[in-house]
Amino acid sequence: MSAPAIVARHLKKRFGTFVAVDDVSFEVERGEIFGYLGANGAGKSTTIRILCGLLEPTSGTATVAGHSVAEDPEAVKASIGYMSQKFSLYLDLPVAENLAFFGGAYGLSGRALRRRTEEVLELSGLAEVRDAQTGSLPGGIRQRLALGCAVLHQPEIVFLDEPTAGVDPTARRIFWKLIRELSRGGTTVFVTTHYLDEAEYCARIGLMVDGRLVALDTPAQLKRTHVPDRMFAVRGPNAARASGPLRQVAGVRNVEPFGAGLHVRAEPGRCEAQTLRAAAGAAGHQVEVEPIDPTLEDVFLAVVGRSAKKEEDGA
Amino acid sequence: MPRRPSRRTQFLAVVRKETLQTARDKRMLVMLLGGPLLQLLVFGYAVDFKVDRVPTVVVDGDQTSESREHARGLMADGTLRWVKGGKSEDGGGSRNGRRSSSSANVAPPPVTPSVGATSGSPGAEGPAPLDRLGVSGAGPMPVAEADAALVNGDAAAAIILPKGFSRDLARGETAHVQVVIDGTDPNRATVAGAAVAGYFAEVSGDLLRARLAQQATRPATASGGISLVPRIWFNPGLDSPPFMIPGVMAMLVIIVTTIVTAMGLAREREMGTLEQVLVTPIRPSVLLLGKLLPYVVIGFLDVALALAIGAYVFDLPIRGSRALLAAATFVYLLSTLGVGLLISTISKTQQQAFLGGFLFAMPAILLSGVMTPIRSMPLWLQAVTYLNPLRYYVEVLRANLLKGAGWSDLWTQLVALLVFGVGILFVATMRFRKRAV
Ligand SMILES: Nc1ncnc2c1ncn2[C@@H]1O[C@H](COP(=O)(O)OP(=O)(O)OP(=O)(O)O)[C@@H](O)[C@H]1O
Ligand SMILES: [Mg+2]
Repeated sequence: MSAPAIVARHLKKRFGTFVAVDDVSFEVERGEIFGYLGANGAGKSTTIRILCGLLEPTSGTATVAGHSVAEDPEAVKASIGYMSQKFSLYLDLPVAENLAFFGGAYGLSGRALRRRTEEVLELSGLAEVRDAQTGSLPGGIRQRLALGCAVLHQPEIVFLDEPTAGVDPTARRIFWKLIRELSRGGTTVFVTTHYLDEAEYCARIGLMVDGRLVALDTPAQLKRTHVPDRMFAVRGPNAARASGPLRQVAGVRNVEPFGAGLHVRAEPGRCEAQTLRAAAGAAGHQVEVEPIDPTLEDVFLAVVGRSAKKEEDGA
Repeated sequence: MPRRPSRRTQFLAVVRKETLQTARDKRMLVMLLGGPLLQLLVFGYAVDFKVDRVPTVVVDGDQTSESREHARGLMADGTLRWVKGGKSEDGGGSRNGRRSSSSANVAPPPVTPSVGATSGSPGAEGPAPLDRLGVSGAGPMPVAEADAALVNGDAAAAIILPKGFSRDLARGETAHVQVVIDGTDPNRATVAGAAVAGYFAEVSGDLLRARLAQQATRPATASGGISLVPRIWFNPGLDSPPFMIPGVMAMLVIIVTTIVTAMGLAREREMGTLEQVLVTPIRPSVLLLGKLLPYVVIGFLDVALALAIGAYVFDLPIRGSRALLAAATFVYLLSTLGVGLLISTISKTQQQAFLGGFLFAMPAILLSGVMTPIRSMPLWLQAVTYLNPLRYYVEVLRANLLKGAGWSDLWTQLVALLVFGVGILFVATMRFRKRAV
């Protein structure tokens, strides 16, 4: 059982002349939360649809839960749960009937179905709305129901395609609590998202740019590799005005406004927090300077910027 | 964890979901069950080809008790209605009003001497002008008045019994009767002509039998020849509701099954729910069977409803076997559902599916023999109708309901429907499987 949950080998998907997924290879370990990141149209959904057996790849192979997607799609489908990017449960049916239908589609019936329905309603906090018409529920609750439908049959792997898109922050937090619970229970979670703060919860992250997988690692390692510069947060009543003097400090690469303060990026080993504070003080601005970790957003910008430049050079 | 989920469980889940969705959709229910009612009533009442109580004037030039007897006898079965001096004998004036006003505004004189009926050899001398038959102006209705009644539409048929009619008949000589019929409505003309011819054929048959009985031995061919008179059987009045209802039933089934199935699947595709279903281990064939079953039930309900309305409102007879009706309906449903499925595999949206269903339904209805008899179509079009499942179903319904035809008469149609149904369903399932999303 130590074989990876997902193995993708040289997956490629072409729509006409447009290549949506281009030679993508990766492995996802069992039980991990794997984040799949990328801008709109990067090819995230296309990859998921290939892995779920909804779309045939132009070339390449995929193994999911130990079954070949091309040769035994039925076994793959029995082992996975899928939550599509667009909400796609029956809006005209009550919550409980959606669960009953998808449970039945996965082969659950009788007592097993009733037990799982109760568990899922409980787990996702949907017990009070079990008889409500699905279409009348707010987005956050709908997404929890969709997740419930995807995990009714206790799949080894769940694919969640932007499960929190358009959902308010509280609902997002609740949703991620559920995802982490699933993962603790041993379920492998493959999740795409636009929210980089959410990506921090992932054990590993794959970064897609224009159909290519350009980076894959743990969040911490990604930051170290792609944002080698040191980062400092500059705060204080007049922090914004200190931007000019700070740029003059040796080793500083970039100064950007961040909230009411500034973020400073500097070459490692060439300047410390004190140096920056002194420089701002010399210009008459009293500020606090603190070393900070780069965020995934910094990673994302660095990676996307780099591949864009590469493309320009190539052209 | 379920490795290979039970197909039965999956199938039942689909049936349950589909039934619930249909039952919760009020508009859909109205369309599925109220639509048939409305269509039947509209077709039953508005499209009325039925011919009865044709207003008829009688010019009795003979003025004997026998001639009056014959005049009454002609009206006896209700196909013809005796109008005297422009007034009808019974109170049914509304129909008369409708008819006469519709034929009165026809430009050319609507008097068509179309039937010359005789009790001996019908049509031997061909139609004769009114005044050549020895009918003078004497008697209760002069010929000129009958002529006028035909022209102004008070009457649609005139029967002239000439002087000496009963005498000739009694002597066994050829007796002449002239029947003049307004031919502006060919249906009505045919029925009225057939009613008169039928009556006199019966009279001459009786006479002949009586004579044969008297003379004990004489071959029937010798004299007073009996000639064949065409008669419309099973629906002699060209009663339109009994004739139309089978056609309307077949059309209904297309609407509630073909179009609704095509749109239902297209909606699931549009809403994205189809993708969510296809990612479950459910097999396409199980999914489709489960989705179609509720519509089979609804199709049967609609057919039963149509039959009930037909029977109670329009006197539709059900002369044949009900098991045969059910079997025919089932194999017909296979075709209509299969076509719906096929259409859904080639349409991306509900709109396209609706259009596709409509584009199938229109020619299928026109080429089914519901509206126009297939025999009156050009030969190549007649050949095309053999590819139309509707044609077979309408044939079965009409033959079964009106004539009481049984399995041995209709098995070819049943086999044709079965072959079409299974074939179309197979192709549609294959296509569905291939372009799953
Ligand atoms: N069926 C299709 N036919 C043609 N082009 C397609 C099809 N599906 C996707 N594409 C294209 O492939 C590209 C990748 O689409 P995909 O949905 O995988 O992107 P994504 O990373 O999920 O983006 P988003 O964040 O917007 O969901 C897009 O440019 C899209 O227009
Ligand atoms: Mg997407």
